[in-house]
Amino acid sequence: MKRPAKSTLAILTLLSLVAAAEPKASPRTIQGTIQAVEVRTGRVDVITGVGMALRLVRVQTTPATQIAARGAAAPLKRLAPGDVVRAVCRVTDEGLVADRIDRTETP
Amino acid sequence: MKPAGGVVLLLLALAGGCARPVRPGDPLAGLTTEERDRFERGRAVFGRVFTPETGLGPLFNSTACGECHEDPAAGGRGDETEVHATADRPDGFCDPLAGEGGPVIQKDVTPALRAALGIDGEPFPKSATARAIRTSPALFGRGLLDAVPDSVLLAYADPDDRNHDGISGRPNRFVDGRIGRFGRKAFVPTLNEFNAGAFVIEIGVTNPAVPTEESIGGAAIPPGVDPVPEPELSQEDLDLADEFVRFLAPPTPVPLTREGRRGRDLFARTGCAACHIPTLRTGASPVRALDHRTFLAYTDLLLHDMGPEMADICLGLATPSEFRTEPLIGLRSANRFLHDGRAKSLPEAIAAHGGEGAAARDRFRNLAPADSAALISFLRSL
Repeated sequence: MKRPAKSTLAILTLLSLVAAAEPKASPRTIQGTIQAVEVRTGRVDVITGVGMALRLVRVQTTPATQIAARGAAAPLKRLAPGDVVRAVCRVTDEGLVADRIDRTETP
Repeated sequence: MKPAGGVVLLLLALAGGCARPVRPGDPLAGLTTEERDRFERGRAVFGRVFTPETGLGPLFNSTACGECHEDPAAGGRGDETEVHATADRPDGFCDPLAGEGGPVIQKDVTPALRAALGIDGEPFPKSATARAIRTSPALFGRGLLDAVPDSVLLAYADPDDRNHDGISGRPNRFVDGRIGRFGRKAFVPTLNEFNAGAFVIEIGVTNPAVPTEESIGGAAIPPGVDPVPEPELSQEDLDLADEFVRFLAPPTPVPLTREGRRGRDLFARTGCAACHIPTLRTGASPVRALDHRTFLAYTDLLLHDMGPEMADICLGLATPSEFRTEPLIGLRSANRFLHDGRAKSLPEAIAAHGGEGAAARDRFRNLAPADSAALISFLRSL
């Protein structure tokens, strides 16, 4: 096997440094009950919390957000208040943006 | 398989007769030296009085855990009440009003918040459809209740009343779907979470599990009002307070007289024990004192419909008239009864049972005076 050329190594190192320097949105998973869904704006309000200390968390969906109910892809309008969901989000300057929302089934 | 209640009760009574009686506020028997030490250190955190300088508020119901859980010992009941509010929406969704400061609406504020907003308590949510009053319950035996597996609750559940006994208990669920058991509506799944949440909603003290303050009716806290950085309680202190509550033992019932023994039988025969299940058994626990223990609980930790007279707020899956079967642990030290303290005596509390409790209530009502006195005598032994 040929050894990589020094120039190739330098480019790879440079690329990895550039990638590391790019601002990455930190992921956050929200698990809770939907309080409201606004299909027009893509906004989903989720109730989370610890014990009786409940909090309302606003999650923004985008056309790229994957939404699933009972394991199958579903449109945002299939989500409703009272649904228990798990949302994988990115923390951005505009707030939480959902990459994926799964409606979880409780017995 | 459900345990043979009579045999277990007899064994527990015999065991109680041999050992030194456990007094209210005592730790569980069988704790290690280290656990006992943490229990005592936890008692200090439980009794700690917070001030605005140490994290109190800006909204709060009390300045210390021990202020509301004090009678007849630390971890006991209190004479304070608090306000809860939720909205039972037309679409069937029970909104705990988290966006408006709910479901617990704090009654007091720090001087700084009063000066900033001119309020004496959290504003009552505009969207609320119901208001509830809650008393401070005794916390004895809560660690044991926490260690009962969900499977036990599910085994007692009979949501469709398939056995046609008129009792149809069902578990509540937390916002994330887990089975709940703590709180008067059995909303909170674990003791740890209940305690961590209580620091914030009751005292306004943030901690690593709940690092954000309550909103003021949904609005942000005015700048400068709460200058103590979050979290206001360390993880170690949170753990210690949690372990104090977890290790609080159920007080030993007083020895039964002949009348009390008859009352215990009547408690079962009138149907009270269908929901107030006398004994529960814990599952596996890393704490030996909580590991596979059978204890007197007098609850099934499930929701039951108690009739329209009792109804207040919805919470989670619980409808306004559904309440968790109250554990009767340490009942003898109570002087007010039911979730809101409306009953001033045990007969009054029994008389207020409606819905699924109506049949047992009527059987109690129809007892001969000597028999109803015997049943009350038994309850007063707990």
